[in-house]
Amino acid sequence: MALRLLTRNLRNRISPNLCSASLLHSHATSFGFKEVREEEKSQMVGKVFSNVASNYDLMNDFMSAGLHRLWKDRLVSKLSPFPGMKHLDVAGGTGDVAFRILESINSIRRRALQDPINDDLQEETRIYVCDINQNMLNVGKNRALERGLGEDKSLVWVQGDAEALSFEDNSMDGYTIAFGIRNVTHIEKVLTEAYRVLKRGGRFLSLELSHVEIPVFKELYDLYSFSVIPRLGEVVAGDRESYQYLVESIRRFPPQEKFASMIADAGFQKVEYENLVGGVVAIHSGLKI
Amino acid sequence: MYRTVVNRILLSGGSRRLPKYPDIRTVISSSRFSTTTQPQTVLNPSGSSTSSSSSTNFQTSSAAGDVPRHERNNPRAEYEGEQARVLQASLRHVIRLGWSEEAMIAGAKEVGISPSIVGSFPRKEAALVEFFMDDCLQRLIDRIDSGEELQNLTPSQRIYKLVRIRLEMQAPYISKWSQALSIQAHPLNVSTSFKQRAMLIDEIWHAAGDETYDLDWYVKRTVLGGIYSTTEIYMLTDSSPEFRDTWLFLDNRVKDAFDLKKTIQEAKYLAEAVGAGMGSSLQVFVGRVLQR
Repeated sequence: MALRLLTRNLRNRISPNLCSASLLHSHATSFGFKEVREEEKSQMVGKVFSNVASNYDLMNDFMSAGLHRLWKDRLVSKLSPFPGMKHLDVAGGTGDVAFRILESINSIRRRALQDPINDDLQEETRIYVCDINQNMLNVGKNRALERGLGEDKSLVWVQGDAEALSFEDNSMDGYTIAFGIRNVTHIEKVLTEAYRVLKRGGRFLSLELSHVEIPVFKELYDLYSFSVIPRLGEVVAGDRESYQYLVESIRRFPPQEKFASMIADAGFQKVEYENLVGGVVAIHSGLKI
Repeated sequence: MYRTVVNRILLSGGSRRLPKYPDIRTVISSSRFSTTTQPQTVLNPSGSSTSSSSSTNFQTSSAAGDVPRHERNNPRAEYEGEQARVLQASLRHVIRLGWSEEAMIAGAKEVGISPSIVGSFPRKEAALVEFFMDDCLQRLIDRIDSGEELQNLTPSQRIYKLVRIRLEMQAPYISKWSQALSIQAHPLNVSTSFKQRAMLIDEIWHAAGDETYDLDWYVKRTVLGGIYSTTEIYMLTDSSPEFRDTWLFLDNRVKDAFDLKKTIQEAKYLAEAVGAGMGSSLQVFVGRVLQR
């Protein structure tokens, strides 16, 4: 362990630029374990999500044994939403995080504690759900209708690219990206855009599948990922390839510390991360000041 | 005893600023299998300084010296300054909104920063209360350093005066102070609030000069801690003008503590009572055993 840290430190000192540039390049041209051209990656990811859109939530439940709900709950509680908030949920296609935020703001318990003057603030709340894939957004809109949030003007569905957002500078109080940053072509562009649209005091939160280091658990997790999940994809969703991509892309994504330093590079301060389930999932957070 | 000396050296070396709120860092990492909380902080893009802070669920211990010196002057660490500004502004809303997230949100809006920053405080309302406690302690230290008012007083009078000065700082918030106390008593926050109170008591004893009696250092701390806490709680229900009754109460408590003869007398009575009680029950017990 000490040796690994030592070599890592040495490597960082000797060629930091070389190392991070090559890592980013390798992310931009990796589609799971396959090598692809940068321009193609976006298209290929798009195809994956068009395929999985209709079964996305069901598969999430299966693969994580329902735990993804708890993870998203944790993400939203870390965010601490407030009435009148302008929030952007990127890659939030089917709306899980957005619904939770809205419900947290509107909860009766919260309302009971508030000043009456805050009620009109409630009206100003806007949760923007941005996704590059229209199919995912459509699924999300349908789910909103089912939950009775169809007419709620707080929820705004926008199609857009995380690397080139259509929102103004300093316009958002919060930015979340749940299980999305793994799929983008250029991570640093997404982080820069996130920094741009956030106001002073705004927070960036990312929930993502990450790296497990605990000895025995790591082997079990790898076994589960590579043997069970693609098979599950085949049986439940009829699409083995997409789920193979999923588990491979997790392994190619930078580990917790590296991703945290990338977030800091984009200009965020107080960058922290919290491991859930031993590192299977990590919530990274940063503050824009 | 050496702890007092160490404290004096630490506190009197250079300026007498005690570490401000933002330096309350927590260094704990414990992991359970199902949910682990191990947040790590990376402050500098060059990766030179890292410090860990812990998240919820577990007791936190604060170590004021954890943050390396250079970090405080580091321009990248300005978020701490902004956080302090937000907390300072939030205090003005506490009277209306209590020690709560709402007050902090109002404070953030006042300062012109997005209220999202409230989410970045690890234990939200506790952060506000702890900031206030640190602020009051700093003001007390400033008063001590500047004031000649303590020169001609006996130690017991000095203690009375210092505790009174400190409690008067809480007077504007008295309507919501019980909420603050309950926040401080919460298991997550108890260790930090205990440390803050310990620092306060230390400071007061140091200013009062503790060479008078031959009591043990811990006993002194405990006694003064007791005086302070009981007076604080008495103040919560005191409705006399300008808390006159509280100061009377405080005066009596200080006198009691310093009246060594009375203390020894009370200790003797207690020992007799316990002895009598134990003795009689021991007699009965032995009697029963012998009867068999």
